[in-house]
Amino acid sequence: MKPLNQKADRVLKAAAEDKMDEVRAMQTVTAGCATTFDPGWEVDPFGSVAALCQPMEADLYGCSDPCWWPAQVPDTMVVHPDWDANATSAARDWRALGSVFPGDSNT
Amino acid sequence: MKTFLTGLSLALAGVLAPASGAEARDLLVTVARPDNLYVIDAASRTVIKDCTIGAEHPSPGVTVMSPDGRIAYMLLDRWQNVVGVNIETCERVFFARQSEEKVIRRSIASLAVSRDGTRLYTVRNPVRHHPDHYEVMEPEFAVFDTAAGLDAKPLAIHPAPRRSTLMAADDAGTVYIAGHDVFAVNPETGDTSVAIANANWDRPTYSGPDVLAFWPIGTQNDEFMLLYSAAVFTDEKKEEMADFVWGYESVDLKTGETEIKDFASFEVIMFSAVRNPNAENELYGVYTQLSKHDVATGELIKRVDLPHTYYVINISSDGKEVYVGGTNSDIGVYDTSTLERIGEIQLPSGGDMSVSTLQIVQAE
Repeated sequence: MKPLNQKADRVLKAAAEDKMDEVRAMQTVTAGCATTFDPGWEVDPFGSVAALCQPMEADLYGCSDPCWWPAQVPDTMVVHPDWDANATSAARDWRALGSVFPGDSNT
Repeated sequence: MKTFLTGLSLALAGVLAPASGAEARDLLVTVARPDNLYVIDAASRTVIKDCTIGAEHPSPGVTVMSPDGRIAYMLLDRWQNVVGVNIETCERVFFARQSEEKVIRRSIASLAVSRDGTRLYTVRNPVRHHPDHYEVMEPEFAVFDTAAGLDAKPLAIHPAPRRSTLMAADDAGTVYIAGHDVFAVNPETGDTSVAIANANWDRPTYSGPDVLAFWPIGTQNDEFMLLYSAAVFTDEKKEEMADFVWGYESVDLKTGETEIKDFASFEVIMFSAVRNPNAENELYGVYTQLSKHDVATGELIKRVDLPHTYYVINISSDGKEVYVGGTNSDIGVYDTSTLERIGEIQLPSGGDMSVSTLQIVQAE
């Protein structure tokens, strides 16, 4: 058997470490860091885009630092804490903000 | 710890105090990437202290000031640790590591200092990391001694409301927490009551309110104020909308009196707002626009577009200027009578402030 996702992979590791008594089925726990569930950058409260933050770079770390739009921006709170390590200014250093992949995850 | 002076080296040589009189001046305090605490002389638009904090990560930079204006207490390290820095010397004087190896505790902007400066409060949300899953634990109201130094542990821990954000303390010692309602907590006993009904408000023709509460500003005005937006319907059937409004919920930190009031139609977004300390009816709100409202009459006095979005606003002690910050690395200065941009401060690091607080204190 091969694990198909991170959860399954961790269960295998737990078995190897004799920690299966600590394993829980997924439906009994809440996972993830998002404290809010806003719809994302697609629309503003008026159903348009003019009232979104301007420019987007002004809002980038305001979204990644608090996990505000976890689907659109890697969160620096939990999963990708070093995503912004080489970009102190989102507007100036945006080229250093790369894509992230599941293997990069800190969780 | 690096101390970097720009401008007059004597800028902070005097005694910081809750000063008054002709010699008092306003200092702005904020946090920016990569690891900087800035102290700015507001009148001269000059950075007078650039303190290297020594944080693992500067987010969120939520900052509250000691009542004497000397210590900046910052929530840092990805919402986990509280660092206190003397803004005269850049010396770290307080540190509370909230997380343990297997239990991560994050505070979602929940940070306050008692009005006598002896206690610091957080609400933190513990999550135990198991080999394959997280265990969400009960939130904690933690009480710290501000004199506890660099390995501060809670003096007391009480149960806390879930979904807590901003906090503030009043003169009587009560601590207010913004959550689904605004709660009043006795930090000695942990007894908690509702100070302002928010999600549970009794307004039959209103929708539930939407409150964004990230910036602990207003303490210098002795006020804990949150903005809300809500739909107002023509009747209790809630079938036809009459308006979509902005309002504020406020606690007077001198008296503990509370107020909730609509003041404008929802025409633009505002992320934070502050009132004029010398004209309580004037409220200034910021986002991509800067708006000046008369909350007594409901009049929008003026609104101007800003060069970019700003999250946080604060106001000079004489009420003549407002300062807008957060997001990027510049603080804009606006004349409160005209809303004209009359100055700006570029932070030397060029790093983003993101969701950091922009505080204001007075110094002699």
